[in-house]
Amino acid sequence: MSGPPAAAPASSPLSSDGLGSPRWGGFDPARTRGRGWRDLRRSFATAARLGWQMEANWTDPILFFIYSVAKPVAAALILVVMLEVISGGARPEYRAFVVVGSALWAFVLSGVSGLAWTILDDRERYRMLRYVYVSPSEFLVVLLGRGVARLGVGAMGASITLAFGVLLLGVPFDPTRIDWPLLLVVLILGVTAVLAIGLILAAICMQTRQESWSYPEAAGGALFLISGVVFPLAVLPGPVQAIGLVTPLTWWIEGIRRSLFPGSITAIGGPGGLFTGLTGASNPTASQIVLALLLTGAVATLAAAVVFRASDRRAKDRGLFDQTTGS
Amino acid sequence: MNPRRAAVDGRNAFVYRPTASPQAAASWTPRQIAMTNLRTVLGRAYPRVSGLFRERSWVFFEILLPFLSTSAFVFVYRALQAPPQYIGFVVLGGAMTAFWLNVIWMMAQQLWWEKSQGNLELYFAAPMNIMAVLFGMAFGGFVMSSTRAAAVLVIATTVYGVSFSVDQWALLIAVFLLTLAALYGLGMVLASLFLMWGREAWHLTQLLVEPVYFVSGLNFPIARLGVLGSVAISILPLAVGLDAMRQLAFAGSAYPVGTPPPLVEALMLVVMVVVFLVLSRWALAALERRARQEGTLSVRWQ
Repeated sequence: MSGPPAAAPASSPLSSDGLGSPRWGGFDPARTRGRGWRDLRRSFATAARLGWQMEANWTDPILFFIYSVAKPVAAALILVVMLEVISGGARPEYRAFVVVGSALWAFVLSGVSGLAWTILDDRERYRMLRYVYVSPSEFLVVLLGRGVARLGVGAMGASITLAFGVLLLGVPFDPTRIDWPLLLVVLILGVTAVLAIGLILAAICMQTRQESWSYPEAAGGALFLISGVVFPLAVLPGPVQAIGLVTPLTWWIEGIRRSLFPGSITAIGGPGGLFTGLTGASNPTASQIVLALLLTGAVATLAAAVVFRASDRRAKDRGLFDQTTGS
Repeated sequence: MNPRRAAVDGRNAFVYRPTASPQAAASWTPRQIAMTNLRTVLGRAYPRVSGLFRERSWVFFEILLPFLSTSAFVFVYRALQAPPQYIGFVVLGGAMTAFWLNVIWMMAQQLWWEKSQGNLELYFAAPMNIMAVLFGMAFGGFVMSSTRAAAVLVIATTVYGVSFSVDQWALLIAVFLLTLAALYGLGMVLASLFLMWGREAWHLTQLLVEPVYFVSGLNFPIARLGVLGSVAISILPLAVGLDAMRQLAFAGSAYPVGTPPPLVEALMLVVMVVVFLVLSRWALAALERRARQEGTLSVRWQ
């Protein structure tokens, strides 16, 4: 702390007013008003990097790989064995359907639980939530960044489960038949929808106690029922099918199935399906899938924004960011 | 007790009988030890039981949503036009998952969590047996999970018209209780191991959900897994307990052969209970010794 003070740079807008600090080069108004997108981008990247480090960097890489892959592979194997027990291998097309569905669901579960677990992790375990909240970074952006890191882990598990299905479980896959434009569009829209649902659960976990660790998985289990993941919606009662059709995840999974595995069983249409009853078509076209995903995703995103803001206000009002609970 | 009277005759909050010296006060009678440990069990179970009444969101998230999750597997079997007893297998498996999830989330991970919260050092410093803390956690967890398991079982049985066919009620109840004892015994062993593995505990918890469901034959008869199923039956209480309960609860159904009869599986569960309790006691003692030597009892987040 010795030596002559540095002069404020000539470019500093306030240096001539005498407000410039001799130590760090003058007062920078952007530090108080923020730098808009630049700050948001930086917060997001930092949060995503931190999330990835927390997920992966602190663990034994082999264990991390096993746990990332074993979970979705085991989930797929449960369904494959259920199928084998009943049909004895007589329905290979249905096996492909359940393997693809359960692989994609690993991605959904990671995205849905990532944001909620970030809240619980930072509030209950590391007790940093209050500090993160009052930092200059936009809280929502930090949350989304952390969620994206977990989504990355889920994507890895889903990809490996799909590869496992193709290589070992006889899922038919022809890389030359992939519908790339459809895949790209539904991936982007789907990730947005998954994060929106995750944000709703994060908003709920802001209000609840420590035991809410299992809530995202429980919510995921309920969505699993209505999203046509491992069986066609047509086997559900009509009103439940209707709920499934307004869920973005249903259209996302259908879109990914259609783009990666053209000609596979549809989860939305088919005999006895509400969609077929309403439109007369046996299965939705690619453009219908994109449109439905766009609409349902937009509704989910808006709902997430509203619920998150309301929860944020209530949490501030009641001091819930400081709360830690035990059990 | 009146504090003034207690002070006069030499008693205080920590010593219930007059003693001549601090050394004598520190030498507890068997009754005093037993009562303290019993109070520890009740004290540790209390937050889990009272938590059920303080925040009601669990009714939605831990009863309704798991019921829907179980329903998804019911509809898989319906889509495959499976025989009705398979729907019953799924419902029984769905109810038992409540206990397994409780064991891994709130038993296995708990000591590590308590360490991160700063409570573990207090547990070790308090004049009680740490096994009493684990028993309290298990008892509280059992009460919590029983409500969820019973709700899933009753609702799913009613909604999906599952009909049970039980010939040996006493054996079924005994197998159920033995399964729970073995599950929570395993949870007590895992609690020490997870504490040793530190931050990996979180990942290990994840690893013990779907893979264990698969090898335990949660939604299908475990005999279908062949050698893998046999290995699971010999080490996993969930696998052996579920198999025995299915055989007993669906006595008249066609059931894939290849697993031991329920009575043998009940005896396997008895062995598991004894082994897990002895192991957990040994693991806790070893862990405490090691933690004291290395001074890591109060080190958080590692």
